[in-house]
Amino acid sequence: MNKRYGMSIDIDKCTGCGACMVACAVENNVPALPGANDRRGITWMRVYRVDNGEEYPDRRSAFVPMLCQQCGVETPCAHVCPQQAVDVDPATGIVGQMPERCLGCRYCMAACPYHARYFNWWDPQWPAGMEKTLNPDVAPRMRGVVEKCNFCHGRYHRAKERAAAAGEKDIRPGEYIPACVEACPAGAIRFGDLNDPSSEVAAARHEAGSFRLLEKLGTDPKIYYHSTRDWVRQIAFAPKPGGKENLHG
Amino acid sequence: MTTRRDLFKFAGGSAMGLLLTPAPWRLITDTALWSENWPGIPRPARGEIRAKFTHCGLCAAGCAVRARCVGEQPVSLAGVEGGLCPFGVTGHHLPYHPERLRHGNRPEAAAAVARAIANSAPDRRVAVLDLQPGRTASWTCRRALAALKNGVYLAPEEPACAVNLAPAGTVLSLGAPLLDGWGSPDRVFRARSGFRLIQAEAVESRTAALADQWLAVQPGSESVLGRAVAGTVGLRQAAEATGLAEAQIAEVARSLRENGPALIVAPEMTSEVLAWNLALGAWGKTVLPRREAPLPREWSKAAPVTPLAAVEVGSLGALLIDESVPGAPLPWAAIQPKLAADAVVVAFSWSRAGYARHATHVLPAAVYPEALGDLPPALVAPSVGSAAEFRLTVPLVAAPDGMTDPAEFLSAVAGLDAKDALRQRAAAIHAAARGSLRTYADGKTSAVKDLKFDDFWKALNAGGSWMGEVENSGKSPHLAPAAPIPDAGDPWPLRLSTTQPGAPALVSPLMTKLWQESGLRLGPHRAALNPRAGFEEGARAVLETPYGRCEIQAALDGSVPPGVVLVAYTPEIADIRGADGCARLVRI
Amino acid sequence: MDKDFIARGVKRCSTGRFLLWIAPWAALLAFGLYSAGLCLVKGLNQTNMDNRFPFGLWIFLDLTVIALGAGAFFTGFLLYILKLDELKAVISSAVVIGLVCYSGAIAVLLVDVGQPLRAWFTFWYPNVHSMLTEVTFCLSCYLTVLAIEYLPIVLKNRKLRQVPSFLVFEFELHKLIYVLAGVGTFLSFFHQGSLGGLYGVLRGRPFAFREGLAVWPSTFFLFILSAAAVGPSFIVLTTHLVEKLSRRRLVRQQALELLGRISGLLLAVYVLAKTIDTLVWINRTSPESGFPAAQYYSWKPFGTWILFAEIVLFGLAPALVLLAPRLRARRAWLVSAAGLACFGVALNRFVMTVQTLAVPTLSFDQFVSYFPSWQEIGTFLAVVAYGVLVYSLSFRYLQLFPEERELKMAQAAEESSAELVGRY
Repeated sequence: MNKRYGMSIDIDKCTGCGACMVACAVENNVPALPGANDRRGITWMRVYRVDNGEEYPDRRSAFVPMLCQQCGVETPCAHVCPQQAVDVDPATGIVGQMPERCLGCRYCMAACPYHARYFNWWDPQWPAGMEKTLNPDVAPRMRGVVEKCNFCHGRYHRAKERAAAAGEKDIRPGEYIPACVEACPAGAIRFGDLNDPSSEVAAARHEAGSFRLLEKLGTDPKIYYHSTRDWVRQIAFAPKPGGKENLHG
Repeated sequence: MTTRRDLFKFAGGSAMGLLLTPAPWRLITDTALWSENWPGIPRPARGEIRAKFTHCGLCAAGCAVRARCVGEQPVSLAGVEGGLCPFGVTGHHLPYHPERLRHGNRPEAAAAVARAIANSAPDRRVAVLDLQPGRTASWTCRRALAALKNGVYLAPEEPACAVNLAPAGTVLSLGAPLLDGWGSPDRVFRARSGFRLIQAEAVESRTAALADQWLAVQPGSESVLGRAVAGTVGLRQAAEATGLAEAQIAEVARSLRENGPALIVAPEMTSEVLAWNLALGAWGKTVLPRREAPLPREWSKAAPVTPLAAVEVGSLGALLIDESVPGAPLPWAAIQPKLAADAVVVAFSWSRAGYARHATHVLPAAVYPEALGDLPPALVAPSVGSAAEFRLTVPLVAAPDGMTDPAEFLSAVAGLDAKDALRQRAAAIHAAARGSLRTYADGKTSAVKDLKFDDFWKALNAGGSWMGEVENSGKSPHLAPAAPIPDAGDPWPLRLSTTQPGAPALVSPLMTKLWQESGLRLGPHRAALNPRAGFEEGARAVLETPYGRCEIQAALDGSVPPGVVLVAYTPEIADIRGADGCARLVRI
Repeated sequence: MDKDFIARGVKRCSTGRFLLWIAPWAALLAFGLYSAGLCLVKGLNQTNMDNRFPFGLWIFLDLTVIALGAGAFFTGFLLYILKLDELKAVISSAVVIGLVCYSGAIAVLLVDVGQPLRAWFTFWYPNVHSMLTEVTFCLSCYLTVLAIEYLPIVLKNRKLRQVPSFLVFEFELHKLIYVLAGVGTFLSFFHQGSLGGLYGVLRGRPFAFREGLAVWPSTFFLFILSAAAVGPSFIVLTTHLVEKLSRRRLVRQQALELLGRISGLLLAVYVLAKTIDTLVWINRTSPESGFPAAQYYSWKPFGTWILFAEIVLFGLAPALVLLAPRLRARRAWLVSAAGLACFGVALNRFVMTVQTLAVPTLSFDQFVSYFPSWQEIGTFLAVVAYGVLVYSLSFRYLQLFPEERELKMAQAAEESSAELVGRY
């Protein structure tokens, strides 16, 4: 049976430490460039700090890890790419990006409501010697192409190979988890097959307080968030008219 | 007879025919493949993938680490029991940091120290400042100093106790970064669902944001709340100092007493904090003695730990600062008066950012994960209770030439043979034949008494972890009365608060993703201020304290209370930050 | 010096004066090429675009320029298919403008993409669902059509006509012109539409997202309509400008008035369609995707004034002027209204590109702003300079306005008869 990998992120557990962000960059060979800033950097996984809009001391903050939401229906980026550099793998439901096919037109970035796609504004570079620490399973990208979270594609392949070597047809649950899930010290991120009713993520989506971002756009994202706090759950919806600027992240 | 026309026809026909073969199409696809690999883009090295284990040396918590290696080279780090903090996840990048210190003149430094020792008058002292006391290397330094006639061992105050979060029912944190690098995430987060967390802190820190209750107290008044809960300060006085309602404080005290076992934690677990916990009856439950692994008997001749305050002004002829492991540094403003006019200061550092700025000699030290060492006794005890531990930070990569180990440097100066200190310590542990050894590769635990020493030592060097037997906590200690509350004067209208004290002096270049490529953390030289503090976003200002000044850039943040300036922890800030946190900002 | 190349019966300024006119534009072109070169060699970090503003000045101006260049296909369509023969007077000029606009836009697009060397991937691995694929195919095909349409104009040059085989070739090409006009019209309809579709399909950007017919969102049709409406206006505008600059009468007033009337008519239809579309979007499309439309206009400086400006000030107003025979008969009114219409379409393209990206989609998003870098502006100025140069050269050496000679003779006759009258 086809899998539909998804994630469930408990905002009530996220401390905003950023381990997921750096673990993602380590796993996927994303460099940190001196000229990069919050609008030109590459952060496949990015933790935003959101607040309830009140002033001190009534201000309350929460941390929202944002990554590609892996839209399953009318996937906005896959839909618009002129040269099939974006695809939705029917076997896993993962929205993949082929940087080597990408022309760098950035149409997919304009299409993504979650700002989860990143352009390589510079050639990748690492401090002398640090290229030795690159992950052999992921090819570094060249300048001028778009990239994004692919649920650690390299890890998926590794898990597939391991399963094949062990003579198994399928990857066993827990054998394949993305780097951010593994790194999270607070255990706020869970990952698994949404099609498998026994998986943690499949159960988590039905929990009270579970929601998805901008669900009404109708793109069926596969990242579920969870919070028991009412004001946190408001982030699921579009900005309010006259909304204030409250972005940190 | 072949005509020219025939030749053309043949060529044309061939061209048409060629189009029907896969060749030209393949060629076009291949040009796409070529354009995929531009020169100048590094290709990751390939090789056999294997796992190595170690303990993280980036803070005293010492999380167990599994390194994924290509051949010998680690390419990613992960926690063995749960996740790691971002510093730990990127630790394997430190050997390649562009700002890493690589050269130093060791003979010159050794000669200068030897001269200082030889020429010293009776009132002149030779001191070591150890930023992470309690390690085997710390013991080596203390033994070496004992061998010198006027050696002094300086260290930041060690925690007065260990804490156990597992049985806790209610935890009152007085500004401690409990969920943000205070203890190993494994021990903290595993226990988290079991206790109610009340965070008293002026700023809504990461811990405050996730606490069950956040008490936004007046900046710097956290300790008053602790005293009030323990009953050494009246409710009214506490309410005045903290800005909380009397009923609120009473409620906190009640909830600690009724929903126990209770625990009060503070950024520094001083004896006063321990006293409050004792008043709550936490001894033996959530507050435990800090156990140290057995020591070889012959190590008993060691210099005692001297607080910096006890050192006479102008008495230090030589000061060796061990910055080779991260720790909370003492402000230079406090150290400097203790130095003699011609004092030799040697810093063993990873970079030029820390004490290297003040030292007369700077020697490069091996960074994590190049250096072999062990970890000090843990602040957050294992969930089973009070037990000693012995864990090595095993090198994952070889250190480059020219690195100096501070303990080895000092023992050479003092004529002490301490090359095998770690092994001797392990032998002492093995000889005691108590406790068990856990190896991460196979997840097995075996009793020490069943192991041969060589196997024990080998397992420790493969990232094994020894834990002693759980011991009874014994009688609760007797404690001295508390120090008075410092009072912030008028010229210092602000309180300085810092993020992540004790962060390593060198962090992976990838960490800039957290403050440069996003706004998740406060970057170096940035100061978060309340939007009504009168500064614009990005405005430059000078941060002044009684100990010095430092230039910063304002970042407006509604979660910072008026009257507080929140800065990222850097060596410059460490230098000028006083215990009372007095500060002011002057616009440039 | 270059007299032999200038068409018989028309007068052009001296070579020196012409060089003086050309020189600053050539300098601008050189500067622009340097800017573009920087972007190609050092990468797009030379621009001020970023991950939140992946499209910037270039895409906005590309859309505008292509809409304005629509005069070429639409005049061709009116002349060759609908047989409005008055438009023969401007068709060559329209073709040159079209060629300049399209080739310039494509050149900028090649700088705009991160990997220009992979531009051909779109043809090799086309995603048929993508509006951008449609745009790429139609743009490149139509540019070829324009180049073929431009060829006979070049070949009509006095000197080139002396080569007999060119004459034959031109004659053969001329027979093709109806086919070319037809193909050009078809391709143009499609790419103008798909440029609109580019934004209309963005489900994730409810500010731009529109419902529509089959695979085409309403913006597809609105872009066709608006391009067809302002194409003629832009020809009026440029012809007027060339007349002023060259101090010559080039076309009869009737031809311009006809263009104005057509423009006004289409603009009126467009304003109506745009109004209906906006109402449907505000009341249905946007709320259905969870976005109350009022939100978009709460981010300064994008207030509802922008809707008013787009639809009424730069839509309805010029349409009414162009539709009123007495007003459009006056050159000042005609040209002003044409100018307003062109500006209105530019504003529409600005709203679609820039405002779409600036308004936040997530509740914790920020309203983001962007200002182009000098390299971006320079690259665009290169296109302007290139356009002026190509047009100037074409105007000098080719016959862009066939009525120019007649008008000149008529003027000369008038003057001489006046002289005669005066003498006697």
